[in-house]
Amino acid sequence: MVESQNMVKEARYLYSVARTGHMARLGSIGIQENNVYTVPYKDIAAIVHACEAKPYQTEDKKLAEEWVLEHSYVIDQATKMFGTVLPFSFDVIIKGDDDVVKDWLCRDYEHLAGELLRMQGSAEYSIQVYCDYDYLEKMVLAKNQELGDLKNSIEKEPKGKAYLQRRNLDLKLKSLTRSEAGWLADQFCSEIKPLVKELKTAGRTSWTPEKYRGKKLLASYTCRVSKEAVKKLGEVLEEINCKEGFFVRFTGPWAPFSFVCLSGAG
Amino acid sequence: MNPEKESCLVEVLDRLLNKGAVLNADLIISVAGIPLIGVTLKAMIAGMETMLEYGIMEDWDKSSRELYARAETHLPLFPGEQILYKAFGYLREEEGLIKCWVPGIWNITSHRVILWIKTPGKVLFETPLENLRVLRVPASHEVRKELELIYPHGSARISLSDRNEFEEALAGAAEAMVVVRNHLVITSG
Repeated sequence: MVESQNMVKEARYLYSVARTGHMARLGSIGIQENNVYTVPYKDIAAIVHACEAKPYQTEDKKLAEEWVLEHSYVIDQATKMFGTVLPFSFDVIIKGDDDVVKDWLCRDYEHLAGELLRMQGSAEYSIQVYCDYDYLEKMVLAKNQELGDLKNSIEKEPKGKAYLQRRNLDLKLKSLTRSEAGWLADQFCSEIKPLVKELKTAGRTSWTPEKYRGKKLLASYTCRVSKEAVKKLGEVLEEINCKEGFFVRFTGPWAPFSFVCLSGAG
Repeated sequence: MNPEKESCLVEVLDRLLNKGAVLNADLIISVAGIPLIGVTLKAMIAGMETMLEYGIMEDWDKSSRELYARAETHLPLFPGEQILYKAFGYLREEEGLIKCWVPGIWNITSHRVILWIKTPGKVLFETPLENLRVLRVPASHEVRKELELIYPHGSARISLSDRNEFEEALAGAAEAMVVVRNHLVITSG
């Protein structure tokens, strides 16, 4: 494109790429009630709305959140209409009109169609396993003879020695509980892995749902699961959830935000 | 169990602002070659401090520079305490069951070793130089260079890109502290 940045007035806000070769109107469901439609090329299409060539910016946090939710809603609707889509991050705006979008689809067709095929029939889910730390500690104490004996002997010791021994016990118990937790997390992961197409360990978030407050996050995964495997995965997670001291949060389906890979595209 | 479609706003924001596909800068709106993928919104929602702390928005535009200046804080020092060395690095944190590397600025002062996070201005770790030992430990990650700080009441695993420099600075600071102390002893005696 030879046009300079300043001269571009028109732009297209990009929500996702879907598998459809048809022009379709999704209605005024976009950010700020913009009309959302498809720009098809062969059997794939970009889902966009026409906008000015400038990013969505605001100082109003509430409004910003609203926009993000609207973006999310369009992706959900597109998924309902066309099956799994390639979701785009917020505020990806292509400079130019529908023809520019079409040029991009044409140039990157192989990559986009390949990625759509890879995602077909699957969706993203997130799994968090929480545990009751006190329960886990009790479990470790009950299993470990040496620690049990140490705990019993502390009662009979004089104050000073008892204090030191209690500290020693605490340290040992913490370390063993940590290894036990690590072992359990690996165990759960090995049960989940065969049922999913892809699995990523999710980072720690600062937010814990109300229901799980006071519990420790043992493991957090984001996985891409095929439609057929969701039920089985749910059963495996239910088994974990039924174990005393463990709580599973299973959410989804979402568009494959964490798995779509377009590096080199564009 | 069936998956719940319930997702809180924090999760939706994380998914849409930090994940999802993006395109190369030549196709999308950019300023001076920097893609404008909701930079301002991401900053506002995902936490301004994170972006400022890692310099993502430094020299970006006037308003963010101003914001950066407003957000800048200074490491609180004791009277007479001087900063001798500063470098970006990490501290290994093991909180309950979750282990992670917490980023910040490692400061060696004439009195202490401190991990400082500029925004919002917080000391994440500190220990006096006295009786502090440092050990090289095998890396748990192929590019990460790790050290163990051993102090009288515990130890901490840390990581810096240049550990030689850190060790040297630490040795220098400890030496200076001994010299000062001897001087005090002599003069007070």
